[in-house]
Amino acid sequence: MGLGLLASRAIRPFNSSSSSRLLLRTIVSKPELQSPESSAAAADACPEPDLPPRTPLAGARVHFPNPEDAIEVFVDGYPVKIPKGMTVLQACEVAGVDIPRFCYHSRLSIAGNCRMCLVEVEKSPKPVASCAMPALPGMKIKTDTPVAKKAREGVMEFLLMNHPLDCPICDQGGECDLQDQSMAFGSDRGRFTEMKRSVVDKNLGPLVKTVMTRCIQCTRCVRFASEVAGVQDLGMLGRGSGEEIGTYVEKLMTSELSGNVIDICPVGALTSKPFAFKARNWELKGTESIDVTDAVGSNIRIDSRGPEVMRILPRLNESLCTNQEFNKASDRLIKLGLRPNNIFLPETYPTALFYLELRLPALAFLEPSGPSILFISFFTCLSLFIPVIATSVDINEEWISDKTRFCYDGLKRQRLNDPMIRGADGRFKAVSWRDALAIVAEVAHQVKPEEIVGIAGKLSDAESMMALKDFLNKMGSNNIWCEGTGTQPNADLRSGYIMNTSINGLEKADVFLLVGTQPRVEAAMVNARIRKTVRANNAKVGYVGPETDFNYDCQHLGTGPNTLLEIAEGRHPFVSAISNAKNPVIIVGAGLFEREDKDAIFSVVETIAKKGNVVRPDWNGLNVLLLNAAQAAALDLGLVPESSNSIESAKFVYLMGADDLNLDKLPKDAFVVYQGHHGDHGVYRANVILPASAFSEKEGTYENTEGCSQQTLPAVPTVGDARDDWKIIRALSEVAGVRLPYDTVGGIRSRMRTVAPNLLHVDEREPATLGHSLKPEVTQKVNPAPFKSAVENFYMTDSITRASKIMAQCSATLRKK
Amino acid sequence: MSFTLRSVKVPPNSVNLEEARSRVFDFFRSACRSIPSIIDIYNLDEVVTKSQLRSTIAAEIRKNCHVTNPKVIDMLLFKGMEELNNILEHAKQRHHMIGQYVVGHHGLVQDLDSKDQGLSDFLKNFYKSNYF
Ligand code: SF4
Ligand code: FES
Repeated sequence: MGLGLLASRAIRPFNSSSSSRLLLRTIVSKPELQSPESSAAAADACPEPDLPPRTPLAGARVHFPNPEDAIEVFVDGYPVKIPKGMTVLQACEVAGVDIPRFCYHSRLSIAGNCRMCLVEVEKSPKPVASCAMPALPGMKIKTDTPVAKKAREGVMEFLLMNHPLDCPICDQGGECDLQDQSMAFGSDRGRFTEMKRSVVDKNLGPLVKTVMTRCIQCTRCVRFASEVAGVQDLGMLGRGSGEEIGTYVEKLMTSELSGNVIDICPVGALTSKPFAFKARNWELKGTESIDVTDAVGSNIRIDSRGPEVMRILPRLNESLCTNQEFNKASDRLIKLGLRPNNIFLPETYPTALFYLELRLPALAFLEPSGPSILFISFFTCLSLFIPVIATSVDINEEWISDKTRFCYDGLKRQRLNDPMIRGADGRFKAVSWRDALAIVAEVAHQVKPEEIVGIAGKLSDAESMMALKDFLNKMGSNNIWCEGTGTQPNADLRSGYIMNTSINGLEKADVFLLVGTQPRVEAAMVNARIRKTVRANNAKVGYVGPETDFNYDCQHLGTGPNTLLEIAEGRHPFVSAISNAKNPVIIVGAGLFEREDKDAIFSVVETIAKKGNVVRPDWNGLNVLLLNAAQAAALDLGLVPESSNSIESAKFVYLMGADDLNLDKLPKDAFVVYQGHHGDHGVYRANVILPASAFSEKEGTYENTEGCSQQTLPAVPTVGDARDDWKIIRALSEVAGVRLPYDTVGGIRSRMRTVAPNLLHVDEREPATLGHSLKPEVTQKVNPAPFKSAVENFYMTDSITRASKIMAQCSATLRKK
Repeated sequence: MSFTLRSVKVPPNSVNLEEARSRVFDFFRSACRSIPSIIDIYNLDEVVTKSQLRSTIAAEIRKNCHVTNPKVIDMLLFKGMEELNNILEHAKQRHHMIGQYVVGHHGLVQDLDSKDQGLSDFLKNFYKSNYF
């Protein structure tokens, strides 16, 4: 402390009530905090006011698995019932009190090293760190006393001592926990005059930018890396003021989840490298959407500024629900309620909105003091409530993979923005929609119906696949499928292609058998769940397939179907693990769909399932892990080709965003229409290009691998003269004279309802109803060729990620060779 | 508002529909009289004829033919006068004129087609933009 400061303190007049002991340690800046103990006593003297019940924070809800386990604690005098084992901080959350925190994160282990969450507990001599303290029955927690306030102020002061004051050039500015909390709880003046320490920045690769001087040593990133991502890359070096976060030796962070440390870092020490200095968070518009780069359907928020996607973040579904019981909670609002006179009556939307419209001007007259007051008075007397959808989907917890997070720059490159026709010289020429559609329609009528083939791409939404199927059917062809599902997919039994256990359900498993799948690259979020289960219940993992790198303990059982046969016949040691397990899980990779002998392999897997009691009435552990976002919906809608060699005889091929297709066998004179958003592989062979919108620009339904349908929302406008996929097909159908009967998204959705009603149950997981036993006998022979890996390069799997520069950098530097 | 108009006093409101109606005709006539100088100022002779411009003006006026309130008619007349003055003062540029009065509000790239007759509204909208 500077001498001048001390001097100024010495001459400051003291409160006469402060004792001489306090006189020596006057380190507080706000006068009312100078003697917290005495003013605390004063506060105790006055009788407790009748507190109105508070609402739990962020919709936190408690679910009591066992009513006897409930205990009661008092938070600021207000009693709350919580289950045994909750911490003081969680109890405060249930009581509706937000405790400031830095190191505590609900999905990570508790470190208790930042001390920001100090609260006062009656009969404890010192303030306690609430995040690490279990709540005990009858505990009296005080969060708002001078002692607690002073403690927070002190902690804040220590944290800011070595934190650079560079908020104006910090990317975290505006969404920084340290900034917010120092505004709310910090002291109003600083007393620091010495030099701040500085720390060397670390190179963590092309995704995470580090400014390590800003680090407050909360160790969230270290815990995330070792607990969730499963890489031991990050760690704490040094002691005391020499403490640093780093990678011991110069080393990149090679996890497919590394981007999440950007979100969990409470300060600007770890920020996004591609997003650095691009935008401020308050300029961005957030749109809640769905990720389509894999089949998991992670819940994301697309932040955009004007017509540009600036970044992608995971959506925090927890803000609406903290446990699975949420949707079943009895006190959820499910109907519109209108109270014309004292009792609420259920109402329809038009009436309710009309009522609102009617009332608002009237209220504006009543309350001349302005809109804010208007709304307060309007809602406290509550004449109307409108229920909103609360999602209970907990697909990706709050993490997303690096591919999801950083593929967005691909949305700005290589885009198709005009309809184009390939001229006689082999070059594309931009034409109007009218001409492009006329040519496509004309050619489609010149070929025989069975020579027409339609292929939906990996990123197609359900609406456009429905339209494509209807269109081709009207043209007389039934050769339509979705890429990646192989030539003879089994679309009849839903349980044969979705993840029956559900992603959440994986946490109950105790043995995993992975067949021909590498979840770490195929579905990073599913892999994170498996890892979580392995850590929590010591689940055993065995895999059959090419040798790969998993980030948890696992056993390599073999490379091909022969190992599977051994397990099925009981000749393999892993059999005992499956049969001894309570909840065994088998996950079959969708890469096997491309194999000729896939029916035989599936029947072997079913034999294993039957012997190991994997499918029971109360547990279905037989899963298929799909590879891309369109697959589940495509199979639900019945996108199955009529004949397996239709490509060889095709004369008219309609590629709806299909890029990863082998078109070598296509006859030279075939006419190829490519409808899509990126100039990728499919365009090389195309005769006509119809530009479509990408997932960030349209409203579309996607079904993820566990059978949960979700919708994307348009975040940015379409590029150039592009149109939504289903609209293009609808327009083409009219030009071709086979007009499809829907003009709106609503219309096409009601058509989908007749084919696959589950696609309209948004944000709900629709489990498959029938078991596996109804399948016909398989006569195929198993081919002993070993399984191949389905995804070669995690960072580049579809047209968007292949167009992305960041993903190209990642695959150059981070991929395990 | 333009400066020539500033010197002119705003005329008093029309008392009845009849007076408003005659004012509209007066306005139409004065607008038609200024067509030659407009064509001159903005070099429009290569893209449009006088009669075309005349019918554009008439069409703009007819857009509001349902209005019967004399006050509203006065207001619209005032706006029309203001626009005319702006045009005559060269307060606009050539592409404004072409965009607003020669090609029309449908934009420059509209490819009108006689085949459009039998099309559904969906397809007509589809050709225009993605958002409808
Ligand atoms: S880098 Fe961020 S998350 Fe990691 S310890 Fe420092 S402040 Fe915490
Ligand atoms: S949040 Fe409790 S010590 Fe950091």
